[in-house]
Amino acid sequence: MPIRPILSALLRNKTGAVLLVLQIAITMAVIVNAAFIVSQRLAKMNRDPGFDVPNMIAFQSWGFGADYNHEVAVKEDTDYLASLPGVLGVTTTASLPLSNSGSANTFAATGEEFDEAGADTPEIVANTYVMNEQVLDALGVELVAGRTFYPEEVSYRTPQHSSFAPSVIMTRDLAIETYGTEDALGKTLYDGLGNPAEVVGIIENMQGAWVDWDDLTHVLLMPGIAAGPFLRYIVRVEPGRRDEVMRVIEETLPARNSERMIRRIQPFTEIVARSYRRDHSMTILLIATVIMLVSITSLGIIGLASFAVRQRTKQIGTRRAIGATRRDILGYFMVENWLVTTGGVLLGALLTVAVNMWLVDAYSLEKLDWAYIPAGVLILWVLGQLAVLVPAIRASGIAPAIATRTV
Amino acid sequence: MLSMQHISKVYRTELVETHALRDFSLEVNDGEFVAVTGPSGSGKTTFLNIAGLLESFTSGTYVLDGLDVSGLNDNERSRIRNQKIGFIFQSFNLIPDLDLFDNVDVPLRYRGLKAADRKERIHNALETVGLASRMKHLPAQLSGGQQQRVAIARALAGDPHFLLADEPTGNLDSLMARQVLDLLQEINEKGTTIIMVTHDAELARRAHRNVQVLDGQVTDLEAPDSHPLTVAVDNDAADNLSAGA
Repeated sequence: MPIRPILSALLRNKTGAVLLVLQIAITMAVIVNAAFIVSQRLAKMNRDPGFDVPNMIAFQSWGFGADYNHEVAVKEDTDYLASLPGVLGVTTTASLPLSNSGSANTFAATGEEFDEAGADTPEIVANTYVMNEQVLDALGVELVAGRTFYPEEVSYRTPQHSSFAPSVIMTRDLAIETYGTEDALGKTLYDGLGNPAEVVGIIENMQGAWVDWDDLTHVLLMPGIAAGPFLRYIVRVEPGRRDEVMRVIEETLPARNSERMIRRIQPFTEIVARSYRRDHSMTILLIATVIMLVSITSLGIIGLASFAVRQRTKQIGTRRAIGATRRDILGYFMVENWLVTTGGVLLGALLTVAVNMWLVDAYSLEKLDWAYIPAGVLILWVLGQLAVLVPAIRASGIAPAIATRTV
Repeated sequence: MLSMQHISKVYRTELVETHALRDFSLEVNDGEFVAVTGPSGSGKTTFLNIAGLLESFTSGTYVLDGLDVSGLNDNERSRIRNQKIGFIFQSFNLIPDLDLFDNVDVPLRYRGLKAADRKERIHNALETVGLASRMKHLPAQLSGGQQQRVAIARALAGDPHFLLADEPTGNLDSLMARQVLDLLQEINEKGTTIIMVTHDAELARRAHRNVQVLDGQVTDLEAPDSHPLTVAVDNDAADNLSAGA
């Protein structure tokens, strides 16, 4: 199919084509950047949390009665929960991972370094959780070195509690951040006051509290029972038994102690979904925007091509009369659209980069992965060809006898 | 040679059946210049459309250059139109967005000829119609007579056996009409068969033979050479006027 005469005809009659080129360029800039942001959000939401989210249950316990004994209540409730059929592990905690709420502290690999501190010494920030000896089973995290806490290491903390811990378990990412290539197991970790704790376990991965935090996988587990009267429980169950165990907890646990209230029994998946709600909404909004823009652009292409077919009916008939086959006519409109789309995507590529630079600058978004640009070009080429197909087929059906009609 | 025997063409809608041609028979020999005349609605254009394979017929036999065209599919009809037939339309039917060179090039590209061959044919055709110097002009920059000459060049460039002209001077003033007719006669003298549909008896008189059509039937078939071939025309004066147009 000859390109030059089609191009020169386009250039002589360019208003509609120029508008469509602009529309395609804007569409490309928006959909490529939107697709990139969506892919980033999806990747963020699909990160491996490192613990067994689908099979975990969380709830709150709130001691309010005058006779409420925190230590007794926690021990009884923990033992009862652990005895339920299907339960793999139970732990108490002050806050929940991936809930967008928690606490973080600074730590250091050496006491001296920290003592001399000041601002120049490197400090490690980690999201901390105080949990019992069932922590590994209750979370379903993978222990890659060392052990879990001994029961005797698990102490009841008070609100005034200021000492560190006899032992700690840390994620592999935190171990690398703290000790580099050295084996972290058995090393001493110092808290903000210079108190030491021995690293007794390394877990492969675990995400902390805040989904937008850069150091999300810097997690430190410490042995203990969080101070009362308010705390949370995490219960992990065998796969497929979550709803059944939740029902049992709802029906039996509150009645076992009238001095405390059991609230918000919920699957952990709901907690995680709530933390990613903004990302989820943004993803849906962007996908809707992309669909809308793609639809509008497709309609624009169909509209322009349909107009061109109506406007050029006699010309098409003449082309057919002097020897064009239906396929020639179909090809003409496909090539014409391809040229317009190509103009649009070339301009769109520049616009895409400009929009991305603005997004990086104004909203601190990541730089665009350049592979998205050829992907966008390809998608818009295909979209253009699909959109023009119906008007082009209609054009190819115009009878050659139209040429002799004096319209 | 073109031979139509007992051709009929019926247009049908749900309510109406229109017989555009009835028992239409006509033979045109190679090298003839035939004028088909008749009043509006007589079936002249339907005849031309069928002769030019622009539309099909309902019954009868049509043999073009020894080939029975009734069984041809759409692609084969396109190919024959492209290779054997040249069309000249009343409204010229040039493509307004293409310059003269590209307009003449259109049917040649559909034939798949090589660029050098096409270029030579386009030059020769535009030379024949006296417009070689204007090949980069757009149709809108030319007079009606010049545009029709470009259309003739487009038809000639493919070296057709038949030239089918549908009221070729219908949109031209008398002087330009004469120029175009002179050109058609020159082309015919070089051996191209021309069939011209017109309602103008004066123009028809310049053909070898007149065929009168009425109500879709041939009513008067003159024998070849019953009319004089040419009418005296002051070509120089015509050219001068055309160039000034």
